[in-house]
Amino acid sequence: MAMHGYAGKILHLDMSAGKANEVPTEKYRRWGGGHGLGSALFWDFCKDKTIKDGRNPANVVCVCTSPLNGTIAPSAGGRCDVVGVGVGQHPQSWYTRSGFGGRFSTMLKYAGWDAIVITGKAAKATWVEIANDHVTFHDAASLWGKDTWAAQQAIWEQTGHARGKTAQAAWREAAKGLGDTLSTQPPAVLCIGPAGENQTAHGCLVHDAGNGAGQGGFGAVWGSKNLKAISVIGTGAISVADPQALLKARFVLKEKYVTSWDRPDFGQWSHLGGLPNPLTMTPPPTDERRPQACQSCINGCRTRASVGYGNESTCQETAWYISAASRVAKSPAQLGEVNMRAADVVQRYGLNSFVFQTGLHWLELLHEERVIGGGKVPSSLPWDKYGTLEFAEKLIHALSHREDIGKDLADGWVQAAEKWGRTEDLANGNMAFSYWGMPDHGYDPRAELDWGYGSILDSRDINEHCFNIIFTNVNAAFAFGKPMRLEAGELVELVARKLTPYIKGRTDVLDFGDANMYSEGVAQLVRWHRHYTRFYKQSALYCDLKWPDFYNTNTPNMEGATASEDAGEQVFWNAVTGDRMTFDQGMELGRRIWNLDNAIWTLQGRHRDMVHFAPYIYETPFTKGELYPFYMWPCRNARGAWEYTDVMGRTLDKAKFDEWKTIYYGLEGWDTKTGWPTRKTLAGMDMSVVADELAAARRLGADA
Amino acid sequence: MPQPSFAPPEPALAARLLQRVAFRDRLPAGRLRPPVGIIPGDIRSLSSLFLHLAPQPNSLPGVNLGRLQDWVRDVLGDAVLADAIREAVGASQSHVDGCLRVYELVAVRLAQAEAVGAAMPPVHTVEESAPEGTS
Repeated sequence: MAMHGYAGKILHLDMSAGKANEVPTEKYRRWGGGHGLGSALFWDFCKDKTIKDGRNPANVVCVCTSPLNGTIAPSAGGRCDVVGVGVGQHPQSWYTRSGFGGRFSTMLKYAGWDAIVITGKAAKATWVEIANDHVTFHDAASLWGKDTWAAQQAIWEQTGHARGKTAQAAWREAAKGLGDTLSTQPPAVLCIGPAGENQTAHGCLVHDAGNGAGQGGFGAVWGSKNLKAISVIGTGAISVADPQALLKARFVLKEKYVTSWDRPDFGQWSHLGGLPNPLTMTPPPTDERRPQACQSCINGCRTRASVGYGNESTCQETAWYISAASRVAKSPAQLGEVNMRAADVVQRYGLNSFVFQTGLHWLELLHEERVIGGGKVPSSLPWDKYGTLEFAEKLIHALSHREDIGKDLADGWVQAAEKWGRTEDLANGNMAFSYWGMPDHGYDPRAELDWGYGSILDSRDINEHCFNIIFTNVNAAFAFGKPMRLEAGELVELVARKLTPYIKGRTDVLDFGDANMYSEGVAQLVRWHRHYTRFYKQSALYCDLKWPDFYNTNTPNMEGATASEDAGEQVFWNAVTGDRMTFDQGMELGRRIWNLDNAIWTLQGRHRDMVHFAPYIYETPFTKGELYPFYMWPCRNARGAWEYTDVMGRTLDKAKFDEWKTIYYGLEGWDTKTGWPTRKTLAGMDMSVVADELAAARRLGADA
Repeated sequence: MPQPSFAPPEPALAARLLQRVAFRDRLPAGRLRPPVGIIPGDIRSLSSLFLHLAPQPNSLPGVNLGRLQDWVRDVLGDAVLADAIREAVGASQSHVDGCLRVYELVAVRLAQAEAVGAAMPPVHTVEESAPEGTS
């Protein structure tokens, strides 16, 4: 039977044996794709799920696509999810995930593969070439040591796509692996730079100029496996079950939910409804530029500019050095240039810049207190040039090569704080690493509960802006003193309509006010969020920047596209796959995937007593103005009426948060004493085999 | 918006305004970049305040204007600018309007300080830049 949307095969790279094996996708079809597919593959392929560091040779890494990749599903065609045990977290590294965009996932499917499973460890530096069905393990000695851009360029040269070659020559070269077919495209390459080669905690995977699987330290995992790069080129196509329905839904989405190009509403409130806009944190350096996007995206959040730097970088990597650069920049233009060139630096070294979000401030403090550069932590970095591009390069070089302070930071920043005798910084908030040894995202657990609670229940900073769009819309309007496009009561009504199946219509779940922050309602919301993202965002691979769309001021009734019958997430899924899945069934699949992940964490050693934030979240108030002067969120006042309320200035109560976890675990059907999955819950989702393995490890939760 | 008209700072104050304060004395100040987020940051000098408040097409400054007045008065030691900021913020219609008004003030004050300090040797070290009792 045709599996529309799927390529049909999974590629198993046995790095120890240097062999490629084929696994039928059909066996894993019930997990959807992306993260769900990856978790199921990890479960089957990883023979030691107790490992606590991703650099262990037993670790398994899966790079997984979705049925929507390679199709015109809006803002879902070009994402990819990577799973496996990570590196550099605290007190241990968990089974975790990271996503990236671009064209790798599409090209992988065009080559005939739905996912790649990487096991074992190569005896020497290796890169893998995939050209349709042909898979070749190459010696990577000549690539090892190259940065991510140079490595990709070298691979393009070796595969016949070097700049300057005629198209005909490139086609002939490429055709060697492509049978009778040709492609004008250069291979899509996913690779590591020096940070990954040296197995540093924040080594990441980079594809093209600016797509990175940042969190998780998967670059270090690849480095530990002696895997420098995977290159893929394919000439196939993806079967779409109902192309007419797919096209129709895409048109509906554009016409109904996205603001008009002719009469754009720049103040619209929605997730989906904006126009393409480069998401650089400083303004693009020039207007001589064009949008650049992941495959099939309607967003175009990246840009390529004539100045030739900062191209394709967006979001976090275009923010990591702003504050430092503002120490020395003389003008906004100079600040922007240093900032965007610093983005290029981390892309080239393959180092996840997210760690600097709060970490760079901490390093600056330690230097000024003479901890770094004094007797305790010697450093020969040019700290007097802090804020210059030269300092940025030297800092990233040191961290990527385990040199200078990079020696101690390479295995995790909280671990370094312990070594340097600075654990008090985790209590006073000088080191704002709030969960699992990772930095606070800015959406502080003390204010935005879905983000904080979700992250500590998960394995990383979740980086999911599903509900966070509320913060952005409301606070931008508040900052300008503009009328709210949706009043608080109206907004929560609209959002609650989408929270199907189990909290549909329950507005109370969105109340992050002091009186509701440890409630069953908030537990339900966090639960909904974990299930939604596990399937729709990380398995179907809808982009975080566009989905879900709860409310949308471009539509007459202000309802967003999420779960709608004309352009909801399930509409595109069904058009591509031929399934008749309801939105709620997608949520249920998300719940199943979330439970499988929790089973893996349980085998790794997680217990509810470990599920706590860094001390400063409990001990130090989130001061007004720490990140932004206000943090307006819809809350109910003393009379029960909804209003936008500032939720800054508070801490979390550790005991109450602990009680809240009991509520949460109960709702999930997990053992409330341990947080472990139970047989009853797992069996109810046709996952008895998972329960069996937990029972064998004596880590199966007790049924209530 | 009328140009602010305050007297130029004395040389000692001008020198302080052109220096960077100690990390412990920084003023936290993020940016809001719709639709993806808050960027943490801070302000450690008048020039970094100027850059922070400079209008940008894609993001909004996140300095707490109430705390800014205190910081300018207590950390930078510039009561004149602090008073002017308080007055400007009091007259503003919104946070963004307040930021724009303060930006104008800071631009003038920075230019004044640079003019006064032009003949003085630059000082960049933290130890020398921090007001007494803060390092």
